[in-house]
Amino acid sequence: MLGIDTSGYANAIGVVNGGRILADHTFKASTDSLEQIVANIDSTLNDAGLTLEDVQGIGVGLGPGSWTGIRVGVTVGKILAFSTEKPVCGVSTLEALARGARTRSSLICAIVSAGTREAVYAGFYRPEGGNIARTGEYYFGDVRGLSKLITEPVVIVGDGAKSYLRIISQEAGILKADCKAIEAAPSGSVIAGMAEERLERDESDDALSLTPLYLKESTARAFVNKYRNSTGVKG
Amino acid sequence: MIVLGIETSCDETSAALVAGGRTILSSIIATQLDLLRKYGGVVPEIAARRHTELIGYVIKEALDAAGKTLADVEAVAVTSRQGLIGCLLVGVAAAKSISYSRKVPLIGVHHIEGHIFANRLSNPRMPVPHVCLTVSGGHTMLLYVPDSSRYELLGTTLDDAAGEAFDKIAKFLGLDFPGGPVIDKLSRQGDHEAFSFPRPMIKSKTLDFSFSGLKTSVINAFKDRIARHEELPLADIAASFQEAVVDVLVTKTVRAAADRGVSTVSVTGGVSANSRLREVFRATCRRKGLEVFFPDLSLCTDNAAMIAAAGYARIKLGEISDLRLNVFPNAPLEV
Repeated sequence: MLGIDTSGYANAIGVVNGGRILADHTFKASTDSLEQIVANIDSTLNDAGLTLEDVQGIGVGLGPGSWTGIRVGVTVGKILAFSTEKPVCGVSTLEALARGARTRSSLICAIVSAGTREAVYAGFYRPEGGNIARTGEYYFGDVRGLSKLITEPVVIVGDGAKSYLRIISQEAGILKADCKAIEAAPSGSVIAGMAEERLERDESDDALSLTPLYLKESTARAFVNKYRNSTGVKG
Repeated sequence: MIVLGIETSCDETSAALVAGGRTILSSIIATQLDLLRKYGGVVPEIAARRHTELIGYVIKEALDAAGKTLADVEAVAVTSRQGLIGCLLVGVAAAKSISYSRKVPLIGVHHIEGHIFANRLSNPRMPVPHVCLTVSGGHTMLLYVPDSSRYELLGTTLDDAAGEAFDKIAKFLGLDFPGGPVIDKLSRQGDHEAFSFPRPMIKSKTLDFSFSGLKTSVINAFKDRIARHEELPLADIAASFQEAVVDVLVTKTVRAAADRGVSTVSVTGGVSANSRLREVFRATCRRKGLEVFFPDLSLCTDNAAMIAAAGYARIKLGEISDLRLNVFPNAPLEV
């Protein structure tokens, strides 16, 4: 199983087989994920001693994260799947991050930066029989607003988890000692592993209709919608 | 050779299959007209999201309509240069994925070269050398074309593209978007001599264009009356404005043909669908002993068939892009 995640200004590519990691690389992609994506997939497969033909399915991180990044990853994932007639499974990047804390017993909060200062995407998860299950809606907003949703000890997972935890424990009035911060970035092998589990349950997504998980409408649309609502103009 | 063309540089998600650089087996264009009308123009982030949603369906539809599968595709051509960055990269990501997984060559195409090839698709016997006017909402260029796939830039717009001027005037007059077809249609009921608008740079020694001053002059002539909610002779204004644009485009193109001593003129791009532009070009060229060619109306606006045809010509010249192909939103046409 091949896994791709391009949500975090990097090409995270991994290959797993039956839960075993055969290769896992994170290639830096500073401005965009497009240029090296296919070469990075090819070299990761080579590293695992495989070619694309050997792959049985494709897992792709849907985001949230960099909008340009997730468009590249999702387009490559879905068109590779369409082109090779292999199944594709979309996976929430937040859930993939939260998986890193699944052995803990407390509430897990996975956080991804939303690009601008203090703005984040987040999802809450609870451990459940060795796996995790999302609880409540995804969150988009500033870290302080996120803190208001937290009323119990929590494990924060994500890039910058330590600094998020500092703000959250302060704002939410929870003892920092009861919480935990796990620094983590999206990983291709985790995405591949989660996709493999879905395939084993006979689940997959329709390649052609697969779309990124933006969690936020574009600024322009938000502006137009707000204006439209306030003036009662019909769209 | 069957080439799959992919075009997502602006607001059209398009895929096409073209055989031998010449025969269109299928050409699928998913427009975002609903979004354009809603937002009064192209919003890059919204357009890029729509491309991502549609790209797979459009490619599948192009294959199905041609009765082919990806196994029949021998090369992939994609617009990689000039356009909105977030939009371009959706098409290029899709093209790379197909090239890599099907082990077929990939070729990145300049969007404007695609427009130049739209006319060759419609008129396979159009001779070279010729002078080519390519004009749309995004560009206005005069080129000398000595042979296939080589260009010499003779002139370009110094400010607005001609199609952009149509859009802005349509918006000013409270007409629908995009402005080109709306003004064309409305102008048929108007008098093109009703108002005398300037013909910017028509007498200048260069073959460059400028449409911003014309736009301002139309706006200045009527903005007070619009502010007072007076009823305007919209058809006459549209026809007179359109006549000024057409006059400049035809005059300069015909002069370029004379400068270069060629007897063939190629007019392409979205604005080449304008009925008055075609009419004046035909009449003027007949008088001057020139032969003028236009693309089929379906090939004037952005489409992937023209990208497939341009890509095919590049491949025949021995060019090929590697899988690290990136997008260049502001790349000039290689001349």
